[in-house]
Amino acid sequence: MTDSERHPYVELIAREARRPVVTDQAARQRIMAAVRAEPLPRRRSTIWGRVIAPRSFTLSPVTGSLLAAGLVGIGVLAGALTSNRVGRPPVGQVPPVASGLPVSLQASDTVVKFVFVAPNAAKVSLVGDFNDWTETRMEKAEKDGLWSVTLPLSVGRHVYSFVVDGAWLVDPKAPMAGDGYGRTNSVKVVTKGSTL
Amino acid sequence: MSDDAADVQRVLAGDVDAYAALVDRYYDRCARFAIRMLGNRDDAEDALQATFLRAYKALNRYQERDRFSAWLYRILVNQCRSIAARRAHREKVFVREEALLLNAPDRAVVWTGEDEEFVQRVLSELDPLLREAFLLKYIEELSYEEMSALTGVGVSALKMRVKRACDRLRERWERIKND
Repeated sequence: MTDSERHPYVELIAREARRPVVTDQAARQRIMAAVRAEPLPRRRSTIWGRVIAPRSFTLSPVTGSLLAAGLVGIGVLAGALTSNRVGRPPVGQVPPVASGLPVSLQASDTVVKFVFVAPNAAKVSLVGDFNDWTETRMEKAEKDGLWSVTLPLSVGRHVYSFVVDGAWLVDPKAPMAGDGYGRTNSVKVVTKGSTL
Repeated sequence: MSDDAADVQRVLAGDVDAYAALVDRYYDRCARFAIRMLGNRDDAEDALQATFLRAYKALNRYQERDRFSAWLYRILVNQCRSIAARRAHREKVFVREEALLLNAPDRAVVWTGEDEEFVQRVLSELDPLLREAFLLKYIEELSYEEMSALTGVGVSALKMRVKRACDRLRERWERIKND
């Protein structure tokens, strides 16, 4: 403590404020009741992991037959759409490419790419209201020092910051808003089809 | 693997009751911060409920290399900030009433030593920025580096806030002494 911090009155207030508070067991029970009403948080997994993860399911004979017939139908339809009459892609047609989007995306989600230039940074993360201010790591491009991450965000106003080697920095390209506590965050208003 | 990490793994494996162990482990400490920060138990309970629920929903984003308590505290600090901002008007009224009480000439400002209301009142006089820094430093006993990681505020700014909070308290003492 500095001189002013060592003052007996300050020490007294700090000591008293450190006393445990009396809490209500019912409040914990209310928390657990709310928790039990929520779906289980799922382990994080990679897209590829989800694709190749073994799954087992049971089908009734009737359902199985219908599903088999449906799969054949989809195959025939896909063949008709992607091939010309001699069975080859038309000249100049680009073969379909996987989108690379997270499979958990919902129809209402909008994909937003966050980028930040920091050639000399060892680690850059993104924090915001959309990840409860916990750090989402950003990936660095090899050449230009550009860090980026793409996230599905709901439509609306979001506030965020970049954490560059531990320091919180605003996005120089985005509007800013104070948080009422002396810190400034960046603001992103997400509309359908937004990107950053 | 720490107890916290083991409990998190159990929850992610489908054992919801394991979350109760985490709530029990951290509730009292979080409650102390929330009550001291927000100045009343109703707001504090709202902050705690929102914190533990948000942490549960985001549990799959918790990374074991971080301390669970620090991760939880970051959510708590932000919840307290949100609630304080949302109820700013009400808080201003509260602080003004307290100030009137303290300045009343017939009120003896003497601390009995175990008056929780008195501690709350003293803390409520501090600007929320200063109060937050003071609580994290001297009540939660975090290092400045931990505080910085938790709040996103630089170490030097935090040191300044703690010093100002202490200065305000010292000035308060001088005022009482001279009355």
